[in-house]
Amino acid sequence: MKPKDMKEPEYNQRLEQDILQALKNPSPFYWVAVFTCASFFAIGLLTWLYQMLKGMGVAGINNPVGWGVYITDFVFWVGIAHSGTLISAVLFLFRAKFRNVFNRSAEAMTVFAVMTAGLYPLIHLGRSWFFYWLFPYPNQRQLWVNFQSPLIWDVFAVSTYFTISAIFWYVGMVPDVAIVRRYASGIGKKIYSILSLGWSGSKRQWRHYTRLYIFLAAFATPLVISVHSVVSWDFAMSIIPGWHTTIFAPYFVAGAIFSGTAMVLTLVIPMMKIFRLERYITVDHFDKIAKVLLFTSLIVTYSYLVEFSLAFYGGHKFEESHFLYRLLGDYRYLYWTMLFCNSLFPLTLFIRRLRRSIAFLFIMSLFVNVGMWLERFVIIVSALAKDFDPYNWGIYIPRWPEVAITLGSFGMFFMFFLIFTKVLPVLAITEIKEEAVE
Amino acid sequence: MDRRDFLKILGITSGTMMVSSCGVDKASEKIIPYVIPPDEDVYPGNPLFLNTTCTECPANCGMQVEINEKVYHDVRSLYPTKLEGIEGHPLNEGTLCMRGQAGLFRLYSPDRIQRTMMRHDQGNFRVATWKEALTRIEEGLNRAKQDGKKNAYFSGRTTGSLSELIDRFCRNKDIERLPEFEVFSYANIKRANEMVFRRPQIPKYHIEKADFLLTIGADIFETHISPVSHSWRFARARKNENFSWYHVEPNLSLTGVQATRRLSLRPRSEMVLLTFLLQTVLEQNERKNNPGITIVRSLPNYPLDEVSSLTGISETDLRSLATSFGNAKKPLVIAGGVSTAHQLGLEVAVLTSLLQWIMAMTDELVDFSQAESYESIGTFKDVESLNEQLDQNTMGVLFISRMDPVSMLPAVFKFSRQIKKAQLTVGLSDHMNDTVRECDVILPLSHSLESWGDSQPCRGLTNVIQPAIDPQYDTRSEGDILLQLLNNESTYKNFLFEKWNKNYGDAGTKEMLKTGYRSDPVPKVMVSFNTLAVSSFVRHMEKPNFNYGVVLCLSPSIRSYDGRSRDLKLMQEIPDPLSTISYGGWISISPLTAEYFRLKDRDEVELTAQEFSLKLPVKVQKHLSDNVVMVQRDLIPVPLTAVDHRSGEASWYVPNISLQKTGVVLPVPILSGSMEENHRGILPPDDDHGHRHDDEEHPRWYPEHEHKDYRWGMAIDLESCIGCNACTAACYVENNIPLVGLKEHLNGREMSWIRIQPYYDANDNFEFVPMMCQQCDNAPCEPVCPVYASYHNPEGLNVQVYNRCVGTRYCSNNCPYKVRRFNWFDHRLVEPLDKMYNPAISVRGRGIMEKCTFCIQRIRAAKDHAKDENRLVQDGEIIPACAQTCPTEAITFGNMKDTESRVYQLAQSERAYHALEELGTEPAVNYLGKRGNNHEA
Repeated sequence: MKPKDMKEPEYNQRLEQDILQALKNPSPFYWVAVFTCASFFAIGLLTWLYQMLKGMGVAGINNPVGWGVYITDFVFWVGIAHSGTLISAVLFLFRAKFRNVFNRSAEAMTVFAVMTAGLYPLIHLGRSWFFYWLFPYPNQRQLWVNFQSPLIWDVFAVSTYFTISAIFWYVGMVPDVAIVRRYASGIGKKIYSILSLGWSGSKRQWRHYTRLYIFLAAFATPLVISVHSVVSWDFAMSIIPGWHTTIFAPYFVAGAIFSGTAMVLTLVIPMMKIFRLERYITVDHFDKIAKVLLFTSLIVTYSYLVEFSLAFYGGHKFEESHFLYRLLGDYRYLYWTMLFCNSLFPLTLFIRRLRRSIAFLFIMSLFVNVGMWLERFVIIVSALAKDFDPYNWGIYIPRWPEVAITLGSFGMFFMFFLIFTKVLPVLAITEIKEEAVE
Repeated sequence: MDRRDFLKILGITSGTMMVSSCGVDKASEKIIPYVIPPDEDVYPGNPLFLNTTCTECPANCGMQVEINEKVYHDVRSLYPTKLEGIEGHPLNEGTLCMRGQAGLFRLYSPDRIQRTMMRHDQGNFRVATWKEALTRIEEGLNRAKQDGKKNAYFSGRTTGSLSELIDRFCRNKDIERLPEFEVFSYANIKRANEMVFRRPQIPKYHIEKADFLLTIGADIFETHISPVSHSWRFARARKNENFSWYHVEPNLSLTGVQATRRLSLRPRSEMVLLTFLLQTVLEQNERKNNPGITIVRSLPNYPLDEVSSLTGISETDLRSLATSFGNAKKPLVIAGGVSTAHQLGLEVAVLTSLLQWIMAMTDELVDFSQAESYESIGTFKDVESLNEQLDQNTMGVLFISRMDPVSMLPAVFKFSRQIKKAQLTVGLSDHMNDTVRECDVILPLSHSLESWGDSQPCRGLTNVIQPAIDPQYDTRSEGDILLQLLNNESTYKNFLFEKWNKNYGDAGTKEMLKTGYRSDPVPKVMVSFNTLAVSSFVRHMEKPNFNYGVVLCLSPSIRSYDGRSRDLKLMQEIPDPLSTISYGGWISISPLTAEYFRLKDRDEVELTAQEFSLKLPVKVQKHLSDNVVMVQRDLIPVPLTAVDHRSGEASWYVPNISLQKTGVVLPVPILSGSMEENHRGILPPDDDHGHRHDDEEHPRWYPEHEHKDYRWGMAIDLESCIGCNACTAACYVENNIPLVGLKEHLNGREMSWIRIQPYYDANDNFEFVPMMCQQCDNAPCEPVCPVYASYHNPEGLNVQVYNRCVGTRYCSNNCPYKVRRFNWFDHRLVEPLDKMYNPAISVRGRGIMEKCTFCIQRIRAAKDHAKDENRLVQDGEIIPACAQTCPTEAITFGNMKDTESRVYQLAQSERAYHALEELGTEPAVNYLGKRGNNHEA
């Protein structure tokens, strides 16, 4: 925040330098980090190749559990992607100023998370090499996709979401890139010049820019709701007890925001420490984002209660037996861990002191990440493991390719994020400036 | 360069490039011109059918072979691709059991012996020519003559012309023909019938004519004499509303759980029960002039409570059994299996025959005129005397043909060591097995589908064996080998034709070759009762003793008969119907035993008795007696307990077993997730009988499916289904379903399109539900497929377009019946088993979902045929593989749009219901629930 005694140009200069110093030559530590992430990513890709060559059987999925870690990862990453848009678009429209320090990394996170998520539907296909059959493209055999299938809705929802969030991210970054251009030299300057699209900061440009930004924010807002609703319909549109329920859309959206907010914390806190941005990202900001976390945790907990109550007073035998299985069956330890991470532990955020403890929030965010991953895993797997016909009941235990590909996806995500911190401004400089003026 | 030159060069280069890039080597296929048409009336795509005989077990059912022309390893030839029963055959009425269906797995087995082999001095085998091998045998016979030693011919059950030829060979070469060896020799039954009726034979049981059936230990649907025949006869008997069936057994069998009432009794106590029945039945209805009556009077008198305490059957059950039996007009009693295979087995068999005689129904129901050909079968006693001969070192050449005594005989026989005591042992077999491995000369036999022959499974029936394929390896039929050893120029085929022409004439022979069998009238046999023998036997009858502690009962297995069908790879892929265990062995124990020893499914236990110990995982099985542990006899090295020297029957019990939990938990492929159905809607609804939930109108978002001419449907009568798994085996072979092996079974990735699901109903009785794709009208799998690979065809089938499938597995997740199968890997049958692939349907690659489509290839063929004749397909014209081979006709397929069709009629039955009706999937499969008779507690 701008200190009271500081003049505006002086503050702006310091702000720019502080943020752009992150783009300075990387330390060896950075290279090690990028290399580690890249290796994980490479191992993940090789594992995927192995899986394609050998067959899906190298993973642990089976009959009846046809979806396992891959779909869990897909939902997890789509969920992560959510709060990016929430923070940048929805909070923008609501004029919640605290978002300014988070929005750039949140949007970057969104883009990378959607990229990661988008790989999973391909990874889990039995014949990944025919993935393009899921797109409605004209062909001489007049084959078409089935628009009744939630998986096709997914294709559109995720690709739309990716497009919009990438554009939104980029547009929001143009004035900042122009600032970077000012400080850059050599080939970098050229690239930033091109990326900044001739931004000169004229009044006319600013007028158009703010219009466009509001428009994009308004456009992206419904996507926050729609994308994860569509993802939840992958399950809700089925007839499997534990999946087939109408609360899934709001429940998944809340869960997505919950997990995404946690992931923002997981990313921003180390970033802030490493790049020494405490001056701009203050405890007040964290206090506010912790409230978002607490609020979504309460919604998610409410959903858990609703699910169980419905099964309890609905008196439907399949529903009942499924929820008993979820609570007490083979996956009970995972479910109890999930309840602790998502429902019990976040209740501590009612305490102001903990909300304002950065270290505590960081630990909390890790717990929530784990909890939300487990939530998807338990929902997907336990519902399939014991459905209608008892003869088919089975159990699913993930195998190494699933672990390797999951780690690979984390490698990919963090690799992109690390690269982002070195090539683009990690905070929205112009917006912080604006905030300072106001 | 001007513009024209440029265009010329461009044209030439691009043209050359296009031409040269045409034709990819890898994908090119040889096109074989149809200049010289192949043999007979073969047209590509049209299968040939040939009638022959199944030789998988001694029942010798009539078998129709479907032969398809196809290219295998670049050679276009004819290959048998499917086996089915011969329509109207007196034994099997057009059906086969699961072992028969899997017969191609023997024909194309990778373990076939391909070359003649001889043991050389170091003891290893080397490949030899036929000439060398036959010369070696000649030399051996000569040497035996010089040394003054005896020769012997020891074979499995042989009937028909081959038996005559063996006799001739043995006479000619001075060889003793030993009694044949079969593990299931029915020695006690034969001995008992000899005693009671003066006929050492196994009669034909006309179950279909009975109104009451009492089976004592006899596993009539699994291995007992002629299971397929029993199955269809039973199905006919059941059509009679008053038919009822009691099954009494010490163990737990597939047959037992099908009975109207199954009673567990203590091992060895059958004779107490039979004595009680004899006396009660006589009391109830006076039967005059029956010489049996005095004998019954002389039997020890057991009061009801003593019978109950000795047998372990409750007094109520005993009374109701006696009443039903006494009231029956045509009662039939069959004893066998584990009940006649113990020290008192002969008593059980004799009393059974006596009981049947008392009821005066012998000739109509127990038919000796069509007796099974078991006369030449020996017993364990005969093997003992062979062992003695071998011990005396007087054996010259020993021929062992078509059997594996080394692995089937109890270890105490030490048969693998014994046979080495002969100067020369000659093994004849199509498969490598433990016995031929010990022989000096191995003569590879042609499979029965590669050779000529005939068989006479019972009196008055001659089955033809004719080749459906040329011998694939350098193998010969047993007949040919014997003729060559006799220095006879003729082939066995000529030998047979001469005989057939002589006996049946030219036309008769042709007719027989066409139908595959010939029934000749047999003189009616009226049995007479041998009062003297029976009364003296009964007088000296021992009282049963029960000092055996916990008993290990060796039960026969429907999957491998006596162990011989273990080689068929398919038989391990299909689970045992009661335990749903596919690969590996297990011990069944009762829930109480499990509780006592704190055992759960898959826990390993060590069983010990005198000189015998065994480690196997357990499977807890309801309904099994607490003092009995059960193991399938083909899965373990056979322990010998005792041989009954009156008949030669071996005991199939190991008494005084002690159990010890080892603490190890083994991976066991138990395919059923749970056998508790808990009113989930898979078994018939027991509340509102006949009410169909899904007949109500449901609002639909999308328009209803319109079916113009056809809406294929199925009706499955659960009352008829005996859980024999023949349908499963037929489906595997018909639809090229991959075998995935133990590891994938443990992963829960078995591929069967149809499976037999055992469940306990509300009264804890077993019910089998065959489950396959239900071809729902409102199918959950269809809307979720993103690429329309799963789609509803105009005839109501949920078709799966394999080429379009990308493998999301969403359809399988959303299928409440979980009948879709995903190809987790590229599963191929190992060579040369892949010769059996049905050319009418594709072999699916990895990453694809597959499933039952009511044998769509058969539907297409029938529709094409009907189209040629400008008509619609008629009822009964299409029979899917499962329905075709169902011995009890539990499965009916047809067009639901045709109100005259059988399937439509059955679907209107009061008993009809849909599986998981409340989901509103509107399946095309109608299950017909059991009538109440199995529901009495």
